[in-house]
Amino acid sequence: MKKWFAAALLLLAIGYTVYGLNTLTLVTSSGRPAAGFFPLVIGILLIISSAINFWGDFHEWRAERLSGQRPVHQADPEAEAKADALGVDAHAIDGGPEFGADVAIVFCYLCVFVAIMPTLGAFLAMILFMLAFLTTFNRKHMLSNVVYSIALPGFLYGLFKILLNASLPTGPLGF
Amino acid sequence: MLADIVSNLSLGLSIAASPEGFMFLVIGAFLGMIVGLFPGFGPAAGIAVLIPMTFGLQPTIAIIMLAGIYYGSMYGGTITSILINTPGESATVASTIDGYPLAQKGRAGPALVMQAIASFFGGTVGVILITALAPSLANFAASFGPSEYFLIIAVGLLMLTTMMGDNKFKGFISALIGFAVGTVGVDVMSGQQRYTFGSPELIGGVYFVAVAIGLFGIGELLHCIFNGQHREAPKRLRISFRDKAFWPSRKDYSESRWTFWRGSTIGFIAGVLPGSGATLGSIIGYSVEKKIAKDPEKFGKGEMRGLVAPEAANNAASAGAMVPLLSLGIPGSGATAVLLGAFLMWGLQPGPLLIVNDPGFVWGLIASMYLGNMILIAMSIFAIPLFVKFLDIPYVNVVPVIVLLCVIGAFAINASIIETWILVGSGLVGFAMKKYGYSPAATVLALVLGSMAEETFLQTYIISRGTMSLFWERPVSLVLSIILCAVILVPFSVGLLARTRRIRKTTES
Repeated sequence: MKKWFAAALLLLAIGYTVYGLNTLTLVTSSGRPAAGFFPLVIGILLIISSAINFWGDFHEWRAERLSGQRPVHQADPEAEAKADALGVDAHAIDGGPEFGADVAIVFCYLCVFVAIMPTLGAFLAMILFMLAFLTTFNRKHMLSNVVYSIALPGFLYGLFKILLNASLPTGPLGF
Repeated sequence: MLADIVSNLSLGLSIAASPEGFMFLVIGAFLGMIVGLFPGFGPAAGIAVLIPMTFGLQPTIAIIMLAGIYYGSMYGGTITSILINTPGESATVASTIDGYPLAQKGRAGPALVMQAIASFFGGTVGVILITALAPSLANFAASFGPSEYFLIIAVGLLMLTTMMGDNKFKGFISALIGFAVGTVGVDVMSGQQRYTFGSPELIGGVYFVAVAIGLFGIGELLHCIFNGQHREAPKRLRISFRDKAFWPSRKDYSESRWTFWRGSTIGFIAGVLPGSGATLGSIIGYSVEKKIAKDPEKFGKGEMRGLVAPEAANNAASAGAMVPLLSLGIPGSGATAVLLGAFLMWGLQPGPLLIVNDPGFVWGLIASMYLGNMILIAMSIFAIPLFVKFLDIPYVNVVPVIVLLCVIGAFAINASIIETWILVGSGLVGFAMKKYGYSPAATVLALVLGSMAEETFLQTYIISRGTMSLFWERPVSLVLSIILCAVILVPFSVGLLARTRRIRKTTES
């Protein structure tokens, strides 16, 4: 996936630069830099750096495939920097098993939550998100999950809507 | 000079110690301690997620509360470092090295008290130095032109990326992404729309708070889930300050008396330098202490000085990072970048003129940091059993709370569902960035500073008639240009030299 992320960045960098070149003015009639000048500088730097980055990640992936060895865990860059400075293995700071499927589930729930919020209203959407999340990851405590899923959104809704007077989406029930 | 400082501080205290100011300072410090407690959730994420909670407050009070979260998290982050060997945030990693062995030796109480005292010492030294330096630096910076500002931004971002070890290049790309996102909206110079795709919601640009909450809040959260934190059982711990063994011994104080000073000085310098911040400050503080100790073999096995040095350093660094933010308007880290975003949200433009135009705000914030440190040391010692109780909450219950805060907060800023979707997208990108070695902090920093970088870059270009000669013609610019070149070339040359040596050794053998 690392190389695909790098490839996506490269494509976005190309798209950003090409779109900018097609829609923005680079230099004014008096020869001064216009709205497209800075994006062009950024775009070119992004294309060059993303291309080198993609090349490096692709080679790393190929080397891993040829050697048959895959790193157990991609360490967090901060952890790597700290580990370098401390002279310890980065995996000691940020290692262990991976839960990619759980990330996908939570992200899907998050998307559904945001998608239904304008229709159902913030309060109901929050309750449904909490219920879905806790039912998936904390099945053993169903009663407390239900209580928690109503109490916490209630508290947050009250805090933002009443105390902070924030504008939140309203559903068919009026909240 | 001294009389000025005293009168300014009195003005600041009258704001920070007002009932409203004091109450939100306590709330900020308390929330900061909690933010620091949860591993993987640093001050940048904490401030970003809690910005919407400051709606309805006066700007000064809101920033006092957010700053309380910022330095409060430095205190809270160490509790988990000591008790469960898990740093609450990156700046407290170095504290784990001796903090946890101290707890294993049955000295968790003295370690927690000493870290609180070291944090207080470092934080207070840092604030005293801010009081002395920020106005002078602001006066000095008043003569800065666009070339100096552009170079400071460039040096800050480059230093932040050089912190990333083998991932420097990815850090550089992260900063460019931030600049690219920052170009969305209306160009301030020509009024032309850029990358808005006809959407009226994007004319004002991509709103920084949604991106920051997404990258730091949702991104960090997904990364914690990826590491399985949500499946871990809570660690049940019991600590009581009524116990005699809870308090440090006379020996602990006497052995660490110079460590407090060394850690604070090193930390403050690291904090002032753009891009380095509390993490590097605490690591250098620890390394220096170990290097100059007569008994370095004791370090890593539960040595009190090994805990005091990084703690004093990271708190002094968090105070030091406020100097460039307040006097130049340039943040040096992810957390201060989010703070800058909050400043701008409240219509405050940090920089040399802020101290002159709005002394009440600047000195109110500085005075609040003195008070905040006092509140935090009291909280850190007497409320330790309470904060330890927070560790009983399973992470699986914490995750949905943070998600709700992020989503509702992002929506509530401008009642915009587009911004909420930007939050979701940024969250996914933030997770991928963390996982694949990029730097969300560099992206946010570049996004916040993007318009300033573009404006100063173009002004330099126009004034120097396209030659960019301002970068070496003005003395301060020349020094900054040399630093910039050194930041780029030194690591490259060192790497090349090491490689040449390795090849020579291999050939010889």
